[in-house]
Amino acid sequence: MSGGGNTIPSVGGAGCGGGGGSSSGGGGSSGGGGGPCGACKFLRRKCVPGCIFAPYFDSEQGSAYFAAVHKVFGASNVSKLLLHIPVHRRADAVVTICYEAQARIRDPIYGCVAHIFALQQQVVNLQAEVSYLQSHLASLELPQPQTRPPPITQPQPLFFTPPPPLSITDLPASVSPYDLATIVDPPTSWATQQRRFVDPRNQYGGSSSSSSAAVGLGGGNSDLQALAHELLHRQGSPPPAATDGSPSRSMSR
Amino acid sequence: MNPKRCAACKYLRRRCPKDCIFSPYFPPNDPDKFACIHRIYGAGNVSKMLQQLPVQTRAEAVESLSFEAKCRVEDPVYGCVGIISLLQTQIRKTQTLLAKTQAEIAVAQTKHSQHTNL
Repeated sequence: MSGGGNTIPSVGGAGCGGGGGSSSGGGGSSGGGGGPCGACKFLRRKCVPGCIFAPYFDSEQGSAYFAAVHKVFGASNVSKLLLHIPVHRRADAVVTICYEAQARIRDPIYGCVAHIFALQQQVVNLQAEVSYLQSHLASLELPQPQTRPPPITQPQPLFFTPPPPLSITDLPASVSPYDLATIVDPPTSWATQQRRFVDPRNQYGGSSSSSSAAVGLGGGNSDLQALAHELLHRQGSPPPAATDGSPSRSMSR
Repeated sequence: MNPKRCAACKYLRRRCPKDCIFSPYFPPNDPDKFACIHRIYGAGNVSKMLQQLPVQTRAEAVESLSFEAKCRVEDPVYGCVGIISLLQTQIRKTQTLLAKTQAEIAVAQTKHSQHTNL
């Protein structure tokens, strides 16, 4: 992936495939010298200067990723979405949109919500384990009467009650500043369990405000590129819906 | 106009046919649900997605689409990926706490053993 904090990370170039992520390079080229961007190539239309997709979908592998985005969201919806986002945030948005689109293609029923539930299940399990261990620790630290020798606790298999069934009310809706680069690979087997979906905001008493998008990216574009690498590379090659097969990618730069 | 139009057909200002693909999942008393989904995915895309799914799975698909759409509306940049990030942070913190508690148990057990041997 191209480094440099000032380059525009291209989903086709940096996250989803090879190609240059630099705005001056081949990645994200608009109609002009470099040919159509991946989106316009897929849509078979002229890539005009100022194409909203051009910075994010390079002409090489970008079209494969745009295929997924178009299939799930539709080009016009994504275009409208990007238009309402400040330019400096659009790269992040494109990466997450690509991720959701690919997740939805791989799992048409649950999409990336399956991943969320798997993670939530993991949180619940870990918290139950911590609770059990903390109560065990508390019992160890309690003073024991002298007449009775303290029981030697043998290592026991952890036992805790199965976590309650999850619903979307258990999901955090309000997201404080977060680092996209911390998103690691999704679990290899996503839990596609039947869940009752309700409004996540009920759990946390309020919708997540736009301030939640105040992301502490820290490294800026380098974190985004790391995210793009993680999210999209971990899902394997471009989605099967890609019209140009499985292009080879050079993920890291 | 059919007074029993589903929320989708009401939103789209069209007749709601008997075999409307949206009607089982978008009751007229919840117009925001379809509005959100339409805004992010578009009615056509959702219809295509649902048509490709077995009937018994469509309800869940609609709910997950609704959730993702709501997340995207509330956070246009990160959508529900932000929630994934938050959960992963929670997992890391809980794993750290778990390791710490296990270490404390090990120390406490050692003290117990020493006390017993005295």
